[in-house]
Amino acid sequence: MASADKNPLVPMLGTITKIIDETPDVKTFHVTTADGKPFTPKPGQLAMLSLIPVGEGMFSITWQGDDYLEFSIKKVGVLTDALHDADVGTTVGIRGPYGNSFPVEIMKGKDLLFIGGGIGLAPLRSLINHCIVNRDEFGKLEVLYGARSPADLVFKYDLFDNWPKVRDMEVYVTVDRGDDDWKGKVGFVPAYLEELKPSPEGKVAITCGPPIMIKYVLQTLEKLGFNEDQVITTLEMRMKCGIGKCGRCNIGSQFICLDGPVFSLAQLKKLPPEW
Amino acid sequence: MKAVPKDKLPALLEELSKEGDLYVPSQAGEMSRFVPWKRDVKLDLEHNTTMSPKELLFPQTEVIYNYKFGEENTVEPPSPGSDKIILFGVRPCDVQAIRCLDEVFLTRTYVDNYYQEKRDRLIIISLGCTAAEDTCFCKDMGVNPVEAEGADIVIFDLDGEYGFEAKTDKGKEIAKKLSSFLEETNKEKPAAPSFSLEVNSEGIVEKLQKMFEHPIWEEVSQKCICCGTCTFLCPSCHCFDINSKNIDATKGFKYRTWDACVFDDYALMAGGHDVRPSKVERIRNRFLHKLQFFQERYGLFLCTGCGRCLRECPVGTNIAAFINRLEEVTVDG
Repeated sequence: MASADKNPLVPMLGTITKIIDETPDVKTFHVTTADGKPFTPKPGQLAMLSLIPVGEGMFSITWQGDDYLEFSIKKVGVLTDALHDADVGTTVGIRGPYGNSFPVEIMKGKDLLFIGGGIGLAPLRSLINHCIVNRDEFGKLEVLYGARSPADLVFKYDLFDNWPKVRDMEVYVTVDRGDDDWKGKVGFVPAYLEELKPSPEGKVAITCGPPIMIKYVLQTLEKLGFNEDQVITTLEMRMKCGIGKCGRCNIGSQFICLDGPVFSLAQLKKLPPEW
Repeated sequence: MKAVPKDKLPALLEELSKEGDLYVPSQAGEMSRFVPWKRDVKLDLEHNTTMSPKELLFPQTEVIYNYKFGEENTVEPPSPGSDKIILFGVRPCDVQAIRCLDEVFLTRTYVDNYYQEKRDRLIIISLGCTAAEDTCFCKDMGVNPVEAEGADIVIFDLDGEYGFEAKTDKGKEIAKKLSSFLEETNKEKPAAPSFSLEVNSEGIVEKLQKMFEHPIWEEVSQKCICCGTCTFLCPSCHCFDINSKNIDATKGFKYRTWDACVFDDYALMAGGHDVRPSKVERIRNRFLHKLQFFQERYGLFLCTGCGRCLRECPVGTNIAAFINRLEEVTVDG
């Protein structure tokens, strides 16, 4: 992966080839280079994406095609504002892939429960789609997903159209606040999880969302009898280098960019509670 | 042991300067630092420098790549240097700090090209310490104050001459080129200096592992004004930020700069989440990084006891006193 001659801080140049509007503040971008797909990431890995004159940021790779990587990006700051203003054809810098990845091997043959909140479904999606593509390798697939409002639900085409059609796959959706047209569930993700009472038997739970949601989901899963090795989460922290040198994304002695972003609850419990 | 008479030192340095870019400790305005050697540079071999030599391997600001954008898009890292970088008079605490930086920048999956290309060109000539200042505590942080493990050459102050010992192949090669200045001495290597500051670092890693939630952090961070002086002077602090600078509407450069874990936006994310929102968490992270986390990851303290932060902190934050305070702390288990 990392050879001494390749300079890991210098990006490849690529292009935005497609932009999908997901919600009022989330867009999905397809990125490719002149040589095709920039690299082939494993589910859960990250990439540094930059608009050259603006800045650079670490994003989870939401999915990949034969010749592109996909990033679903929420508008929250200078770089992401500029990305949301960008058009198809815009030049971007890209470097990676970074971080570990979801432990797909330990999930084989198991039922999988994905629990996502807000833009936290983006990193889970790389694994969900991986499981769908390799459907026979996994047991039942369930997705529990919540957002602030119906308008804030990302990947609606997957949630309501593609995923429910997949064999032995269930999707549960909730929103914090409904609107006049919303006929679905209203309530927070951890409460819905408690209500669904999934059995921990033969199951792995994978969660990502706002830190406060992750904390309550982890508590709820433990209450439901999931042990520390059956619970996987993926974390986020401010990152600059992506290669474990610049310092800021540490939890204790571990760097999210290099040793993470994926941690089991067992691993997380050995680290200081600072995330 | 070989030695060079003190009156021949200027001639030796002149010869050394033919081998590459030679840097020596000297007073430079308000502070002392390693400066390019010239005949008229006044050496300061009495005290360690205010600025550590890390700036020569890991400059405060460094271009990562130059870029063009708009019509034509390119990214182009600067060409690496080719001349040797010779550091003369580095103290053992600062040599140890370079060993720490080597771990960070050269190991654990990724090699940092910018650091590596300078490190490959570096020759360290260390000056073993014969006296300790009242802020020095290197020997208690696992550093040999005389021998400077990791140096290519170590020199010792033996009154009228400097003992000269080449430790590595790089050092021996340099020694060969300087052979006309070196003569045999029968003087012994100096004894380790006596330290007025004593620090007890034994067992602190295990103790700190149980102290993440402890009232001591509130107390030690209370005076901190988060100025970052400690991190900038620290020979081993390696955190950096990366930013872009546009020169005009078509070109600019990406650069990194030293960053400080005590700054309030250090871990602040777009969107507002911040895992270390107050100085209590930031000072805790700083001290634990130095004394626990780095040990866990690399097996070394990230504090080499150079004493710069003790001496220069405007509010008197003192990591040595903090370590000694730990003796009074009792933890469960």
